[in-house]
Amino acid sequence: MQKSPLLTRRELLKVGSGLSVGSLLPFSGLSASTLRTQAHIVIVGGGAAGMAMVNRLARRLQGGTITLVEPRETHHYQPGWTMVASGIWAAEKTMRLNAQFLPRGVKWLRDYADSIDADSKRITLVGGETLEYDFLIVASGIQLNYHLIDGMTPALVGQHGIGSVYAGIEGASRTNQAIQTWLQSGHGRGIFTAAPTPVKCAGAPLKMTFTTLSRLEDTGRRDAFDVDYMAPGASLFSQPWVDEFVKQRFDSQGVNRRHHYRLSAIDPQAKQAEFAFVGPESEFTSHHQLREAEFRRDDQPTVIADYDFLHVVPPMSAHDFVKQSALIAQDGPFRGEWLDVDIHTLQHNRYPEVFGIGDVIGAPINKTAASVKAQAPVVEGNLLAVMQGNALPASHSGYTSCPMITGIGKAMLVEFGYADNFAFMPSFPFIDPTEESWAVWVMKDRMLQPAYYAVLEGKA
Amino acid sequence: MSIDGMLTILMYALAPFKWLLIMGLIVIIALHLLTYLRGYKITHHRSRLTNLLALLIGLTAILWVPWLTHSTLGYVATVFDWIALLGAATATSVIAFIILHPLSYLISFRDKE
Ligand SMILES: Cc1cc2nc3c(=O)[nH]c(=O)nc-3n(C[C@H](O)[C@H](O)[C@H](O)COP(=O)(O)OP(=O)(O)OC[C@H]3O[C@@H](n4cnc5c(N)ncnc54)[C@H](O)[C@@H]3O)c2cc1C
Repeated sequence: MQKSPLLTRRELLKVGSGLSVGSLLPFSGLSASTLRTQAHIVIVGGGAAGMAMVNRLARRLQGGTITLVEPRETHHYQPGWTMVASGIWAAEKTMRLNAQFLPRGVKWLRDYADSIDADSKRITLVGGETLEYDFLIVASGIQLNYHLIDGMTPALVGQHGIGSVYAGIEGASRTNQAIQTWLQSGHGRGIFTAAPTPVKCAGAPLKMTFTTLSRLEDTGRRDAFDVDYMAPGASLFSQPWVDEFVKQRFDSQGVNRRHHYRLSAIDPQAKQAEFAFVGPESEFTSHHQLREAEFRRDDQPTVIADYDFLHVVPPMSAHDFVKQSALIAQDGPFRGEWLDVDIHTLQHNRYPEVFGIGDVIGAPINKTAASVKAQAPVVEGNLLAVMQGNALPASHSGYTSCPMITGIGKAMLVEFGYADNFAFMPSFPFIDPTEESWAVWVMKDRMLQPAYYAVLEGKA
Repeated sequence: MSIDGMLTILMYALAPFKWLLIMGLIVIIALHLLTYLRGYKITHHRSRLTNLLALLIGLTAILWVPWLTHSTLGYVATVFDWIALLGAATATSVIAFIILHPLSYLISFRDKE
């Protein structure tokens, strides 16, 4: 059903019977004051994006009800998984209780959303409970589609030389063990892969390759190991300068790059991986859009490769319950796979009372916690404007950031946005995004996690 | 970013070192109190050896600070890297001085007695 992007006056009156505006300032970050409302706001997903929104809205709204649907007790600091899988951090460092970040007065339902009926503004939970909302924020993150690689399940991570930094904190720990086992064997072939879909933290597969190269060099027997990187597209990273830099660095560090291959199947017992050749004309990047239906094509030639270590990056999409709802993109590049929002206002393109934030949204870049930091004030400002029937005041620049680890102990602070073909958007004039730096590494190692928690608290 | 935001980040960053910081502060305050009661004043007491030692300890930070951050001196490359590392070394020197200076006074005080 198509709707106008603005709420009707009737809808506004319904949510805001007594919706009196307590001197609400236009979008102006943290200086804004509160809005009195009777609306019911549901936030699905309490990860980086959902928790940031819960805290921001709890401060800005008076009188309404905020319900968070989040099944997990533990909050995972996912950017730390790269450090865990590289043997630098202990797994415990990445975990905290969700309760620690939850403000008072918010109703927390510890359950999974099962379906969304956007037309009747209703969510059903797996446990059977039904929620009616006036406004909805979808922040349910990403679904890891390991099943699209024949023979692969997340349970295999850590066994038969298989690693995957994305497979949760246990998966990250087991990836570290798998790498360690490979290093101890003293030789062999490691294959690092990338996914033919958008992925969260598109730099993570590259970072895993770089940190493993550091560990291989530390053995003093680098020549005894072969390292391959299999990319589904011509590029390795969406930011053009970084893409070229990584390619050159891989070449100089003896990484055999092969382009236009995607991991299609594995035989764990035989330690063999099958790659489908997706064609030289394919301009796949880490952010291109392959749909699930296109995964099983018999006409694609395949190659079989033996490996001693295989780093698996699964295809990713929005969760099934989002895909099966009317909220999913109906056409365009994100069709059938990602939430259909305006990439600047973050408002749903067809349901004005719905906003999306974080990994779930269909956007050309942006699946990072750094993007969440930039998106949260935009969703806050625009949602409050919609609640008052005002025009949307805030716009997201597409800001995203990836401390590109180029070896254990050094990194580059890569920040960019939608404009000018993903041009750099440096936050600090004194940090050059094209330079490898120890200080940037220290930021990644020591400062980004505190900054992330401040984002969760809605304070950054 | 708001002051509140910056304080929140600082709080989370320092949280793992909370006890180390508290213990360090207690030691420094106790030392200064003890020496103060024996007539120590930071501006009056002179000790060249203390100055030299504090400087040397600060200089060693150039080697062990990168190591403490899972890195190596070889990766300290940019101007900003060097400013940050020299800042860390200076802070280490200052802390070493704050501890060694009253200590040296205590030792000379005991020798005089
Ligand atoms: C290995 C790795 C490295 C990364 N490195 C970086 C980095 O260096 N820098 C950076 O900025 N970002 C990085 N990221 C990305 C960052 O972690 C994500 O972009 C960020 O967590 C996105 O937040 P989100 O809230 O959209 O998703 P998430 O944080 O994943 O949260 C989604 C939440 O939704 C909940 N959920 C799922 N299904 C349902 C359901 N059916 N009903 C209700 N709730 C549900 C989940 O339990 C979860 O809590 C990295 C990620 C990974 C995996």
